Amino acid sequence: MSSLTVLYDPACGLCRRVHAWLEEQPKLVPLNLVPVKSEEARNRFPHLDHEPTLNDLTVISDQGAVYFGPKAWLMVLWALCRYREWSYRLASPELLPTTRKVVSMISQHRYQISRAAGWSR
Amino acid sequence: MPIEIITYLVYLAISIALTVWVAHTLHKNGRVFLVDVFHGNEPLADSVNHLLVVGFYLINFGYVSLALKLGYDLASAKEGIEALSVKVGMVLIVLGGMHFFNLFIFSRMRRRATLRNAPPPVAPDAFTSVREA
Repeated sequence: MSSLTVLYDPACGLCRRVHAWLEEQPKLVPLNLVPVKSEEARNRFPHLDHEPTLNDLTVISDQGAVYFGPKAWLMVLWALCRYREWSYRLASPELLPTTRKVVSMISQHRYQISRAAGWSR
Repeated sequence: MPIEIITYLVYLAISIALTVWVAHTLHKNGRVFLVDVFHGNEPLADSVNHLLVVGFYLINFGYVSLALKLGYDLASAKEGIEALSVKVGMVLIVLGGMHFFNLFIFSRMRRRATLRNAPPPVAPDAFTSVREA
């Protein structure tokens, strides 16, 4: 696996913050951040159903492996030098259920969180 | 020869021998770790190994030399052996501490290197075709 494409929601303030943070992080695997349902996303992944990508973070490897939601978050952590160890920890059988819950909660309430934190445009 | 001088000389002989032995052990057995860490790059592993041993020697001989002074007179051979035992005991503890510190560094380097090549933490949910940009 030599690169990961991250489909993110540019309409959400939290996602834009995370996007900016990700750009600065040292990476073990290069991340290519593409807005969801954009021209570029449709061109690169013509056979992917783009509807669910708006609800959940989606990560796609250069070999076409697709990761949704919590798995996508774990893959993003895995790509970062400083957080690869955390990706294994959070993916362990003991912590995975909690990881799933927390990640889906953040995903579902991302607009509210963005508004509360003052990150909305 | 006064007892103090004999004690000092025996102290130096034991300390130097111990330091050389531990450094040699570290140098011989640490190499395998380092070769693995540097993905079989043996010249680099040997170089780092050598630099670590130099640091090890400097710190230990520094400690041995600083701790040499007894600060009181020895009345008998019995007191000489007791003083020697305390000094050599301290050197052993410092050597042990340094040795574990080195092991810690080796294992951390190795863990970092294995992490670099580790597979993804989760299996993909699906597969899709990718069109090259």
